[in-house]
Amino acid sequence: MLDVVFSGLVLSSVYGLVAIGISLTWASIGMLNLAQGFIFTAGGYSAYLFSQVAADRGVSGPALSIGTVVAGMLGAAVFGLAVGGLAFLPLQDRDNFRTRSLIATLAISLIGTQVWLIIFGPQSKPLPQIFGDGVVQVGDASVTYGQLGGIVVAALTLAAVIMWMRSSRSGLQMRAMMMNPLGAAVVGVSVRTTGMRVLAISGALTGLSAVLLGQVFFVSPTSGVTPLTVGLIISLAGGLGSIPGTVVAAGLMGFAEAITARYLEQSYVPFVLFGLVVLILVFRPRGLGGLLEDVRE
Amino acid sequence: MTTPILQLAGVSAGYGPVRVLHDLDLEVLPGERIGLVGLNGHGKTTLLSTVVGLTGWQDGSILFEGEEIGGRRTHGVGRRTPHIVRLGISLAPQGDAIFPGLSVQDNLDSGAYSGASWRRRRQRRDYVLDVFPPLRPLLHQSAGTLSGGERRMVSVGRALMGEARLYLVDEPSLGLAPKISLGLVAALCEIDLGDGAMVIAEQNLPLLEGKVDRVLGMHAGELKLDVGEALGDVPPATGGVGAWG
Repeated sequence: MLDVVFSGLVLSSVYGLVAIGISLTWASIGMLNLAQGFIFTAGGYSAYLFSQVAADRGVSGPALSIGTVVAGMLGAAVFGLAVGGLAFLPLQDRDNFRTRSLIATLAISLIGTQVWLIIFGPQSKPLPQIFGDGVVQVGDASVTYGQLGGIVVAALTLAAVIMWMRSSRSGLQMRAMMMNPLGAAVVGVSVRTTGMRVLAISGALTGLSAVLLGQVFFVSPTSGVTPLTVGLIISLAGGLGSIPGTVVAAGLMGFAEAITARYLEQSYVPFVLFGLVVLILVFRPRGLGGLLEDVRE
Repeated sequence: MTTPILQLAGVSAGYGPVRVLHDLDLEVLPGERIGLVGLNGHGKTTLLSTVVGLTGWQDGSILFEGEEIGGRRTHGVGRRTPHIVRLGISLAPQGDAIFPGLSVQDNLDSGAYSGASWRRRRQRRDYVLDVFPPLRPLLHQSAGTLSGGERRMVSVGRALMGEARLYLVDEPSLGLAPKISLGLVAALCEIDLGDGAMVIAEQNLPLLEGKVDRVLGMHAGELKLDVGEALGDVPPATGGVGAWG
């Protein structure tokens, strides 16, 4: 029983990080970033490359762990900016930006996956166990350090991002842009600068989730597909742009996946998740976010 | 002769194939408070948007304190706006482009977002609350829950946060009850501009009567300079000026 709780928490936190990136990007610049899965694998491969090089030089212990996380986040942030440079900056003030950027990010994602295949080959690459190898007994469940660390790190990162968005000047700027682009322009917020900042942050969060998921599943050219799909489901269910809604939806979907995988079968997971999101959108067309936040319009 | 704060020469602007402003010239001098009157759809909003670079396209020279902020532009709506805002032009747009999910305080602070006023935002906020006292008890309330008049105060107050040299206020009275619009316009007209300037676009001429230095009429995208003399024919505004109800 307890092991379902822990695997639910792990899945929630990993998918939640990706979903918040997708959600923030959509809400602030109106771009549904389908290349988020590609950015996810970019983070995974950056972490993998770093760990290979570092291990060759005899780096180990905490230095290797922290370095792997940082490399994953940095790599994904850089690729997030690259996606911005290709799909956001050139298209931003053209007609039909939403559709065009959707197509552009889809193209980046498809081409990117093939590029990974050419560079790294189809075999999965392992990441180092950044939280160590141990197992803790909690009640009748045995929880690995990887699972526990993943939950803690994801929760802390999320809390930090929320704090930053609530209290800092750039956070205010991002929230302003999400709520009223015209108002934001009038007070002097630059859509382009802020947009690139959002893409870098979304990238870094996705990179972190890649490293955390890399503790359980290895990195492969297509390993970003599931996080992208589930991330999209969660950000839709949470109400695009609402952080509290996304967190709740991530919890819901994570546990739905854990319970389905435990008591039915892994192959039923997509059915259950899509069924849930359809159900949520039937009753709350704008997602869960509206329940949890003040007036939006 | 003093250099004008804002000098427009041969400015045209519009959206797509529609040309709204036709070869327009305008000078705003330091310390001036100008009323811009005209019917709906004659280009008041477009004129103010052009100054901050928010129209679809524009052409012609716009000098702000001697610096060129206009020029020919066919796309890139709003791309130069952050720079122009930082130079010291502050726009309170038509309707209210406030941030409904943010608190009144955050809404006001966002007006001080660019420039050095961010560090002085507390004093600045106090100043704005003195101009619009009804906002004081609402500071921590979400702006989306306010009444129309309160939202407009937030929108105009946000424009006042930035210590700008030139304030552009677009139709402060639009859609408000007469008593509230009187109070709002009166508050705007009492603000000490120093050597800055203010342009208030307004349909309701009596609201501005006797409170602005110059009234410019706008018709079909062209300025009809100084309709000041015509003011005598307009019935005087009624109601308690400055009363907040």
